[in-house]
Amino acid sequence: MRIKRRSSSVRDKRATSFDTTHLPTGAYGELSKELSVNEKMLREAFQGCSDIVFRPMHTSPKSLLIFTDGLIDTKTLEKVVLKPLIFDGHSGGPNDLHISSDIIQAQLVAVSKIQTVSNINEVIDGILKANICLLIDGENKAIVADLSGFERRAVEEPEAEVSVRGPRDGFTETLRINTSLIRRRIRSPKLKMESITLGQVSQTDIAIVYIEGIVSKTVLDEVRRRIGRIQMDGVLESGFIEEFIEDAPWSPFPQIQNTERPDVVCASLLEGKVAIMTDNTPFVLIAPMTFWTGLQAVEDYYERSVYTTFIRFVRYSLFNIALMLPSLYVALSTFHQQLIPTNLLISIANSREGVPFPTFVEALLMEFMFEGLREAGLRMPRAVGSAVSIVGALVIGQSAVQAGIVSAPVVIVVAMTGIASFAIPRYNFGTAYRLLRFPMLILAGLFGLYGIISGVFLMIIHLNGLRSFGVPYMSPIVSPVPHTIKDIFVRAPRWMMTKRPEFSSGTNVGRIPDGQQPSPKRGGGGQ
Amino acid sequence: MNKHSTAFFCWMISLLFISGCWDSSEVNDIAIELAWGIDHAPHQQIKISAQAIVPSKIAGGQSNDSSQSGKGKPYFVITSDGMNTLDAVQRMQTKLSRKVFRGHRRVIVIGEAMARRGIKDIFDTYSRDPNLKLRTDIFIVKGDTAQNFLQVSYPLENIPGIGVLGEYNQAGTASREMGLLNFLLAAASDSACPALPVVAIGMNPVVADEEETQDRTEPDHEGFRIVGSAIFNKELKLVGFVNLEEGRAMRWVSGNLKKITVSETLPQGKGNVGMDIIKTKSKMNAAYEGGRLKINVTLTGKGAIRENNTNLDLTKTSNISYLEKALNRHAEEEVRQAITRVQKDYGTDVFGFSDAIRRKDLTLWKTIGEDWEEAFKEAEITVKANMTVRRIGITGPSLQLNPKEIRK
Repeated sequence: MRIKRRSSSVRDKRATSFDTTHLPTGAYGELSKELSVNEKMLREAFQGCSDIVFRPMHTSPKSLLIFTDGLIDTKTLEKVVLKPLIFDGHSGGPNDLHISSDIIQAQLVAVSKIQTVSNINEVIDGILKANICLLIDGENKAIVADLSGFERRAVEEPEAEVSVRGPRDGFTETLRINTSLIRRRIRSPKLKMESITLGQVSQTDIAIVYIEGIVSKTVLDEVRRRIGRIQMDGVLESGFIEEFIEDAPWSPFPQIQNTERPDVVCASLLEGKVAIMTDNTPFVLIAPMTFWTGLQAVEDYYERSVYTTFIRFVRYSLFNIALMLPSLYVALSTFHQQLIPTNLLISIANSREGVPFPTFVEALLMEFMFEGLREAGLRMPRAVGSAVSIVGALVIGQSAVQAGIVSAPVVIVVAMTGIASFAIPRYNFGTAYRLLRFPMLILAGLFGLYGIISGVFLMIIHLNGLRSFGVPYMSPIVSPVPHTIKDIFVRAPRWMMTKRPEFSSGTNVGRIPDGQQPSPKRGGGGQ
Repeated sequence: MNKHSTAFFCWMISLLFISGCWDSSEVNDIAIELAWGIDHAPHQQIKISAQAIVPSKIAGGQSNDSSQSGKGKPYFVITSDGMNTLDAVQRMQTKLSRKVFRGHRRVIVIGEAMARRGIKDIFDTYSRDPNLKLRTDIFIVKGDTAQNFLQVSYPLENIPGIGVLGEYNQAGTASREMGLLNFLLAAASDSACPALPVVAIGMNPVVADEEETQDRTEPDHEGFRIVGSAIFNKELKLVGFVNLEEGRAMRWVSGNLKKITVSETLPQGKGNVGMDIIKTKSKMNAAYEGGRLKINVTLTGKGAIRENNTNLDLTKTSNISYLEKALNRHAEEEVRQAITRVQKDYGTDVFGFSDAIRRKDLTLWKTIGEDWEEAFKEAEITVKANMTVRRIGITGPSLQLNPKEIRK
């Protein structure tokens, strides 16, 4: 099933304009009937590739096994391919069969995913994609069988998206494992996974995943079109794709969501969104993304709705703090002192005595150092990580204040901002705010509250103009439909969210039937 | 497209520069002034005093972690003369290394001498300056100058200017914290006269009767106290003082009282009772009868009995109504005395009767409004109090009493 789907799409591509950057020049063509000719061609193609194994076998007629060492499950290879071929295919052996590709395919090689190819490029492709290839003298066909058995990371809890309640499995670097995690959650033939190979040299597998009947056709077509446009030598991470298909590349806000969690992908698919999975990375892209998804954590949907609503309130407050607290502090303490309560102003004035820098410079300095601290803590090897926090907390936090380099309120403000920015659940969304904090700080330092208001207005204008795959970034707030609001400021109980968000799901908005509120009248009393 | 967006961007940036606040000043470049004094100076000049904080001497800061005490006062007073307030401030600025910041002023004190000369001509700047708050409270310093008052230290507060606010709020006469606004409203009204709270330097009066004696307290005398209210006439000249009780009565009538404690000795039952009254309200009815203005004031209040030095069992409703009657009588008496005193001695309408009449009965007001001061002096004012006891505390009779002594 998988091979067929993929190879058909690959073949379609070849029919129009097959890109051969990753193949040796002049190597493509049909297979010859002579094994020696084929072998020569392939040896030429794989010249210098020490990991390609050529295993000639003295069967009758002669055959040649080619595979990539390390990508193949060697034990299975020996058991299901080598043993039958050598014992049964050898002339004078126990059965003395005259092997042909048909017989091998039908009887000898007990591999589930197997096919016959006749083009040498397909052979090379197959070998590089963890298949074994069997060439038989006298046949202009080759058998390509999937025996992949390379080292894979086990399914582990994702480190970037932790939740207290909810599934603990996260995507790995293997596309097939990742798709299986999705398939295990949505066992419907309507869940489609279109395969594309991307990257002229790297030949990376990409899967466009969606649920037929729920997905918005326009978004799906847009995703296909944009991915089809990409011309790249290698795709090493989903970020490579993201940069090619996002709507506004210069915006600080991410317009495509990424996640390591299969449950997030499934929830998005059920809302009608499209997931783009890339081989060799655990990060899956989800499009379209809205502003509000950046502020929703996966656990919002697993915890009870009342608590989640409270947490959302906290989170929205914190994200405003993360954006504006340092600039507000600078604006108030240098322009609008009359807005600060008297006692607070007195203590600020007290702590500012003897501080050499203006408040603005002080705040900029501390924000800068905080970002440095964060970056250092992120990149440091685990073993020295604690050193960073000690230096950060003691030297910058305490000593700087004691030495009178910075005032204590600025340290408090920066620390609160730091905590607040970590409360934004999506990491790449939080980075947008960390970035915007600096222009806001400069505006506040130059123009006070007027500058902050201007900055906020510019940001709102930008956000309202932003789109993700044709969907307004601020939806559903820009054109509110009552039922979509249930999942923005509050999180309504699941039995209340009877419809899918229209902006992503197109026409099929019905999700669950009405009237499922649990109550004694509905027989919830255990009778 | 590109050209357009660049032009738009430049336009937006220039918007930032052509307006906005350019008066940036660091917190350690301003002298935060919390209390402000106005006195009169010779040659038609005024003397302005400001109580500014010294940030490094405020406790709890980072700059002075050791030897906190004994470093001196956390405030200082700076004084300057001038033709008007602005002139004086400008001269004051020559003595200060930091810019005077007036946005946090909480208290304006006016010396008695200044108040007696009239303050109509100096009040414009306090409502014109956008930095100033209308919530500032104004006090009159009885028998002394504002400058001396600002020099006085106060044990509870770092900044003594804040102390007078607190005292005023605790005195039970708590009006809304909008002294300046209320003062301006009353001053601008056709007929009502403003009244302002009065402070005196020194916590304990040397002579019990502060009304008569010009008690010269030394400037370094610690603390100050609220001693009543100052009555102004329409020219905004101070005409006299009323004491604390009369001041409370005045506020009750004009509706500016938040809570009051009324104590009364009972005529028949031995002992006395005390009651905290909240939700005080007043209602005025006026009529013109027999060539004389008759004003009927109805005071209402709800409260809780806090002290019961009698043998009455307060769980009995008859006893409660007995108490209510006695307390009503007391309140009526007190308020009537206050009104009569103001009427006779000063003749200025600090109670807001004129505004009440005008709001209720415009035709009546039109006939008497021309000559309101005379009409007010001549008016027959009756007071009726109607208080309700809402709570009696957690016991009926006093617990130390023998059950036989308790009167049911």
